[in-house]
Amino acid sequence: MNIGEFWNIFEGAELVENRIILKDDLHKALQFALENYSFNLLKDITAVEKRDKSIDLTYHLYSVENDEDLLITINVWNEAESVIDLFKSAIADENEIYDMFGIKFIGNEYLKRLYMPESWEGFPLRKDYIQSDERLAWDDDNNV
Amino acid sequence: MNLLYFMYMEYLAKYNIPKLFGDITFYIIPFCIIALALLIIVLILVLAERKLLGYFTQRKGPNRVGYWGILQTLADAIKLLCKENITPKGVDRFLFNLAPVLVFVPTFAALGIIPYCAEFTFVNTSTNVILYLILAAFPILSIFLGGWASNNKYSLMGAMRSIAQVISYELPVTFVLLSIVVLSSSTNLTGITLAQYSRAGFAGWFIFPCIIGFVVMFVSILAELNRCPFDLPEAESELICGYNTEYSGMRFAIFYLSEYAMLFANSMFLAILFLGGYLSPFGGYISHILLGDSYLASILVYFEQVFWLFLKSALLIFIIIWIRATLPRLASFDLLKFSWSILLPVSIVNLLLVVLIKFGGLL
Amino acid sequence: MTITTFKLNLGPQHPSTHGVLRLILELEGEKILSCEPDVGYLHRGMEKMAERMSYIQYLPLVDRIDYLAGFFYSELYCRIVEKALNIELSQRVKFIRVIMLELNRIASHLLWIGAFLMDLGAISPYFYAFREREMILRYFEKLTGQRMMYNYFVFGGIRRDIGYIEDIEEILKILPVKLNDYERIITENPIFISRTKGKGILTKYTALNYSITGVNLRASGISYDVRNTDYLYEGLKYKPVVLYSCDAWARYKARILEIRESVTLIKQVIEYLKSCSPTEQKPISPLNLKLPEGNYYGEIEAPRGMASCYVESVGEDRPYRLKWRTGSYYSVNLLRKLLVGNYLNDAIAIAGSLDIILPEVDK
Repeated sequence: MNIGEFWNIFEGAELVENRIILKDDLHKALQFALENYSFNLLKDITAVEKRDKSIDLTYHLYSVENDEDLLITINVWNEAESVIDLFKSAIADENEIYDMFGIKFIGNEYLKRLYMPESWEGFPLRKDYIQSDERLAWDDDNNV
Repeated sequence: MNLLYFMYMEYLAKYNIPKLFGDITFYIIPFCIIALALLIIVLILVLAERKLLGYFTQRKGPNRVGYWGILQTLADAIKLLCKENITPKGVDRFLFNLAPVLVFVPTFAALGIIPYCAEFTFVNTSTNVILYLILAAFPILSIFLGGWASNNKYSLMGAMRSIAQVISYELPVTFVLLSIVVLSSSTNLTGITLAQYSRAGFAGWFIFPCIIGFVVMFVSILAELNRCPFDLPEAESELICGYNTEYSGMRFAIFYLSEYAMLFANSMFLAILFLGGYLSPFGGYISHILLGDSYLASILVYFEQVFWLFLKSALLIFIIIWIRATLPRLASFDLLKFSWSILLPVSIVNLLLVVLIKFGGLL
Repeated sequence: MTITTFKLNLGPQHPSTHGVLRLILELEGEKILSCEPDVGYLHRGMEKMAERMSYIQYLPLVDRIDYLAGFFYSELYCRIVEKALNIELSQRVKFIRVIMLELNRIASHLLWIGAFLMDLGAISPYFYAFREREMILRYFEKLTGQRMMYNYFVFGGIRRDIGYIEDIEEILKILPVKLNDYERIITENPIFISRTKGKGILTKYTALNYSITGVNLRASGISYDVRNTDYLYEGLKYKPVVLYSCDAWARYKARILEIRESVTLIKQVIEYLKSCSPTEQKPISPLNLKLPEGNYYGEIEAPRGMASCYVESVGEDRPYRLKWRTGSYYSVNLLRKLLVGNYLNDAIAIAGSLDIILPEVDK
């Protein structure tokens, strides 16, 4: 597959190592990859919080026919486009990211607190997350 | 019936005891004995099932309480007696408490119409078979009551499945019973038993002319008893425990034990209808062979007849437990389909065959 | 006519949810109109914990992600650290890991077979499958000191050299014979076939769209197996199991065939191990272990679908971010679609056939 063609279409997209970094148009890019290059398996979505508190979402696509992997990364703040109309598995991934990082996926009506209770405050995998209950708190400086 | 009755009455008349007393005690004393025996038999059955299932699945089964685990069920029963009877919020209290009481009634009533030996049945009406048909369908009422009153969706679904199941399996049973009635020209269970008598022992049993009917009846009884592979009303992996999910303590124990009582009663009916009831499988009775025509032998024969009946039903129970260890559960939809599209036509065909055998001069 | 529906809470305490899965079902009678999975009853914060522990501290926890197939996650985690530190494993260590993984896969599949048949209402296969699984667990216990949480793989090697190879050979000898037994009691059982054939059809498109991997995907006709490109399995002959009927039966059969395939894999490895000398690679010292800056990714074919791990390091002694991908999580998501339109007892069979395990879902 000619990935070069891919990032020419999307404005501002660049290739870093093995992943395509998008500025925008996440949904379109995934749709393009799905329809034109048959990347039909969304292995998972990984969210990583950066130092500036923005979130990198990495979509790990895989093509069963061609046995190829494709990583698409987009940097978001609090909202992102949902891709559940393309990949139903994203319901699970987006829900987990919502629960753990607090990112709202526009268009995903299944979002709810997944692992944490409905009334839980804060998003556990954020770096600035403070555990609300002192009994659960882990003294970060003294352990290890 | 008559012989035993008159012997007893003569004995009482010797001591000038009123006839009414004799009339009452003639029925009550054996009934108490049978009821007690039933409880013991149920306890044994529970143990037997657990032991057998254990051996079928390469385990030992209960083996700690008493020698060979013999007191296990008793211990369980005592434990259940001591437990709290929880009545959940939102249940219909009256029906919830009524259901376990009602569930034993048809079982005991069914025991009343069984001919245990040649001269003894509690209620010897001329239409025992019809009575049986009613009584066999009766426990479903208390199951439904329990499921409905529990205010639990799983219980309700279990109860719904029970009703559907019993209604659809009642029809094949009726047709098989009809063919038995045709074969024996009797609607009385003693009459049916006697009609199976032959000098060659088991050759006269109705299982031979009516083998299809036996299979249909066996399967239907499995379904009516909620036994595997038709144990949908209490399918634990689907409905947790079905209709008795909300029951605890002694109420649960009653449901649990009544299942086994019903299993015992139904297998006795199967034995009576197809395996010659209390008749010996060899033609002659062992007591007669060993002791000749003595008075002792004529008494022992009654006990021997009870023994044969129990042995035959024990054999059937063993097969039922064996099936439980082997087969997975049917899907509820398949279960109804199986009854209406296979068992019912087969039982009708069986009836026609039996009529042909009986009146076509084949027998 | 108004159609009345009701909500049924299947779980989190329910005999057939294998732990703490909760499904909120909307039912019409027994027909499922919608399904909403609710997970998180076993959430331990595996990903957060990793950010607060050094690499070696986290290693024993990794087994707990899937307590039935702990080796796979252990291997996955070790693999990432080895990749980051550019550690080459010797062929012997690689093959010892293959043996452990495949034995673990067999144990996991055996447990699934037992539990699945239990869901369908058959008792015996559960105990038969556990009997064979027990042999494998005994072996693991002998070798690693643990039955389920092994902590046997360490960075750059294994904790101790493999031993008791004769035990493995014994297992390999017995297993195919017992599998034939299973096939006789399960695969050819008409009730089992009626419960699983054509039930829970998972088409290729749906499977991919819901990101289903592993055996479930291969039973839907797609030959995607991470083992094909896995460096541990280099030089081993392996034929992926692909079935095309897409139903619950195919998923069952695929697992049986996978066990057979695993047996042949282990046989090949044992041949090699016998020929090579037992010089063992020393694992690296885990003290003050720091991964160079960058991100690392690894995948493995776990029994319940592809598992992957992503580690982002900023040069500290602990990961900056660690992310697990587990197969069961996507299977739970699939239930939203797969259960709709089925009856409750089929739903149990379908959910069971996907092999969901909750610690893997909740992480």
